[in-house]
Parts: sequence; structure tokens; C-alpha cells
Amino acid sequence: MTPPHRTAPAPQPAATAAEDGFDDLIHAPVRLRVCAALDTAREIEFGALLTLLDISKSALSKHLSALADAGYVTQRRAVRDTRQRVWLRLTPAGRSAYRGHVAALHRIVGRTGT
Amino acid sequence: METYGSVGRDEASAALASVRDSRRRMAWRGYPGWYWPATGATLGALSYTTGVPGWAALAASVPVAAALVIITLAAGRARGVCEGWTGGAARQRERIVLYGPAALVILAGAAASKFASWPPIAAAVLLFVLFAGTGLALSARAARQ
Repeated sequence: MTPPHRTAPAPQPAATAAEDGFDDLIHAPVRLRVCAALDTAREIEFGALLTLLDISKSALSKHLSALADAGYVTQRRAVRDTRQRVWLRLTPAGRSAYRGHVAALHRIVGRTGT
Repeated sequence: METYGSVGRDEASAALASVRDSRRRMAWRGYPGWYWPATGATLGALSYTTGVPGWAALAASVPVAAALVIITLAAGRARGVCEGWTGGAARQRERIVLYGPAALVILAGAAASKFASWPPIAAAVLLFVLFAGTGLALSARAARQ
């Protein structure tokens, strides 16, 4: 499998986030880890993300496609050392949705603890 | 019990734990082997320049600082991570653990060189050992997790 072949600009964000910030699309375990990694950097190369998350190429491609379809992730192709690399980044909408989702998770943990 | 749909406290806690794990991996994994010793040596050289008298200190610190930037960019390329201005994945506490002792050695070395016969090379070597050792230890710990 190869990285998904969608290119920027991203489509409009899908309406998956609830008003309280909880986002069903991001909540899937692998997608949550992908967003958590992407949130800490401007861009991450596809291969680096594979290594960091310890998941298969096909699984990562599938989840990135879902995030790209929602307008949460964009991809950029660049050639380095004669090899084409795919660089991934969260869109502003994706970053906002991810942070809102994490805040919602904190609220669930916090409220149920009291 | 407060939930979102079928998401309860346990699932939310597990999700937050996976977020923390991803952040930790991003912060410390994937660095090329040369990164920590090279950065430690460059910081050591920067510390050494503080012991150089007069304008020579400024002149010497410019190429050393440039080398530090080049090493950081090269490591980012090797890792496949461009942090940009996001601030990176390391927590404040982790940054203090990594850079705090180095900053203390630079300041103490600069002060000691003014008031005592403290050789600048001693601070440079100490800084190299502290920084490279801490960086390698944090990376190794992240790789084991």
C-alpha cells in the first residue's frame, strides 16, 4: 500500500464534531494518536509517522484518508534524496477539532470523577 | 455517570493516555544517533566561548550558534519531523530536565571564569556530558516504552 494520493487544498470539514467538542471521527484510537502526533509539529513525514506510531502502512493510509476527507489533514509531496516523500500536517480546522476533542475527553474524565 | 454516547470515563482515560503516549514518542523518539552528542558538543563550544575575552567571544559564538541551528534542522530532516514554531512535543518539565543543567553550567562557568581559575574547557566538557547523557537517556527510555 502507498500513502493516500489526495492533495491540498482540503475539503470543508465534515460535521462530525458535537457542540461540546467531542469528535467521533477523531476518537478512533489510531486517528487520535495520529492527530496527537501531528498537533505537536508543523509537518511530519509519512514514514516518520509510521515509525512513531508502530502501525502498518495500510492502516495509516486508511486513517489518513478519513482525516483528509474530513478536511482535518493535508498532504504535501516533496522529493528528497531522489525519493518522493509525503509530508502531513493538521489543517487549522483539524487542529481545532483535535483540541476540542481532547478537551471533551478531559471533561468526561473530570466530571465522572466527581 | 457522565458519558458522551457510549464513551465513559474509562474509555476517555484510555484515549487521553494514548494522546500522552503519542506526544512522548514525538518528543523523544526517532532522533539520529549523532544528534545528542553533536548538540551537546556545540552547546559545550558555546559555553567555552563565554570564557573567551572581549569581542572574540561574540565573534566565536556566531558560528557556533549557526552550527546549532544547522544540527537542529538536519536532525529534523533525518527524523522526518518539522516542528516549525509549534514549540515541539516536549513538556515544560522535560525541557527543564534537558536544558536546565546545561543553562546552569553555562552561567556558572561564565561566573566562575571571572572570579576563579576555572578553565572554560571544564564547563564545556561537563555541559557536553550532561546534555548528551540526558538526551540519550530520555530517548532510550521513550524507545523502551
